[in-house]
Amino acid sequence: MELFTHNIDTLRAFVYAASPRRTWIEDLKYQWPTGGGKNIVLKEDMGLELGSPEKESVSCLLWTENLSSIADGRITLVGPDFPECMGKNLPFGKVVLVGVEGFDEDNAYDRHKDMDFLRYEIDLKGFMMRAVSQYMREWCRISRDALSQGFSARTLGSSLIRLFRGRPYVKAVEVIFFTSSTHDVSRIKEITAPAEKIIAAMNKMAGEMDFECGSCDYQDVCNEADGLKGMRDRLMEKTKRALHG
Amino acid sequence: MADTKILALCGKGGVGKTSVSALMVKLLSERNDRKILAIDADPAVGLATSLGITVKKTVDDIRKGLITKIQKGESQGNRETLKLLDYELFDALHECEGFALLAIGRPEDEGCFCRVNNLLKDIIGDLAGKFDIVLIDGEAGIEQINRRVMKTVDHLVLLSDTSAKGLNVANSIAHVARDNKAVGYTDMGLILNRVMGGHEVEDIRTRTDLDIYGWIGEDETIRDFDFKGTPLTGIPDTSPTLAVIARVLTKMGVLP
Repeated sequence: MELFTHNIDTLRAFVYAASPRRTWIEDLKYQWPTGGGKNIVLKEDMGLELGSPEKESVSCLLWTENLSSIADGRITLVGPDFPECMGKNLPFGKVVLVGVEGFDEDNAYDRHKDMDFLRYEIDLKGFMMRAVSQYMREWCRISRDALSQGFSARTLGSSLIRLFRGRPYVKAVEVIFFTSSTHDVSRIKEITAPAEKIIAAMNKMAGEMDFECGSCDYQDVCNEADGLKGMRDRLMEKTKRALHG
Repeated sequence: MADTKILALCGKGGVGKTSVSALMVKLLSERNDRKILAIDADPAVGLATSLGITVKKTVDDIRKGLITKIQKGESQGNRETLKLLDYELFDALHECEGFALLAIGRPEDEGCFCRVNNLLKDIIGDLAGKFDIVLIDGEAGIEQINRRVMKTVDHLVLLSDTSAKGLNVANSIAHVARDNKAVGYTDMGLILNRVMGGHEVEDIRTRTDLDIYGWIGEDETIRDFDFKGTPLTGIPDTSPTLAVIARVLTKMGVLP
């Protein structure tokens, strides 16, 4: 099942043209210490703020069953790395690209939600994250201590990749960060906006029993994405079965 | 929240709760390297004013925003809503040197939005658990703390002046906490404010079974700060009131 192929292609084209751009392979050896669930970074301890409410921010999760389109374990950063930005408040973009298998109309929504919530499990000493799926925003703070000890985009990316690998249906993970400029993050927001609409349509389908497509705000999205149409048909069948036995 | 210490101050209006809360925040933030969260549960945001803070967003503003979303059909499941509230709550946090402040704002309007109120209470509890010490400046009653902020505190601090009315309210709150279990607590005690001398304290001891944590005399400096609207964080370290409050906090184990 595919929903985001076009978004991934457009994103790739933008990232390849962006600069300065650096890439790493995930760090398999070193694990950053955990924060013991007390991950709060207040301004007085803060070394770097990313995607705060006053700055542009975007966070998106895109998946595909075309595993060859995902560079497994790769972390890309467009813009300066975290330790180079001590004392700054920067716009922030994060896109996680996931290669998956076995996604269908029945399980795609639950698995998407499951993966979307993985980011909240990140527990790294000196790192704090607040995120809202509905706004596709992510607001991070990194403490001065963590930055001076080398907390970097590779540290964060490696931890994210490790978390995703824990899901049996995940076969490949790639992370792309943007710290370069408001313009770049805004562009990522534009590129991922159609994906946001697809996700919003999935949320609506899952949250409501109403399949009156003629009056639905997401009718155009469903008509364009075959996978969504399939999900809607399957949900309608399930609802009918539940209602009529 | 096992290693977070929570203090809640309650008492009749006008007995000096907010001033004592502000001075506690000052002491805790200046003489500790621990993370301090002050929660202003007074609808008039008096604690914020006493600390020299202008509040930009309250928990009530967040609550209203979420109710509007629900009414428009834009709300998602509880998990997503909790994360949204967590984000909004952190944005509402006013961060100062040594402490952060969260203002609760006005009480709920009419109408039942129990789901929203419960989610908010959960998320306030979650946020509070990330701090080392939480101080809640409450309204007169403790039911409001239970309903809007937290079910359990470590130290329930009742404040009264030497008036019979003030002491009656403190005794009533103690009764509601102890017998009606309106809020869970580990220990509870009384701070007396605007005391003219030790004889008043001895007299009050015969009219309450509450442990008297300490007593504060009439303080011209605080009166002057209040009169001018000067933040109480500027009270000099030599203030006898500060010394009393410091002893109380040390007795509670939250100040060295």
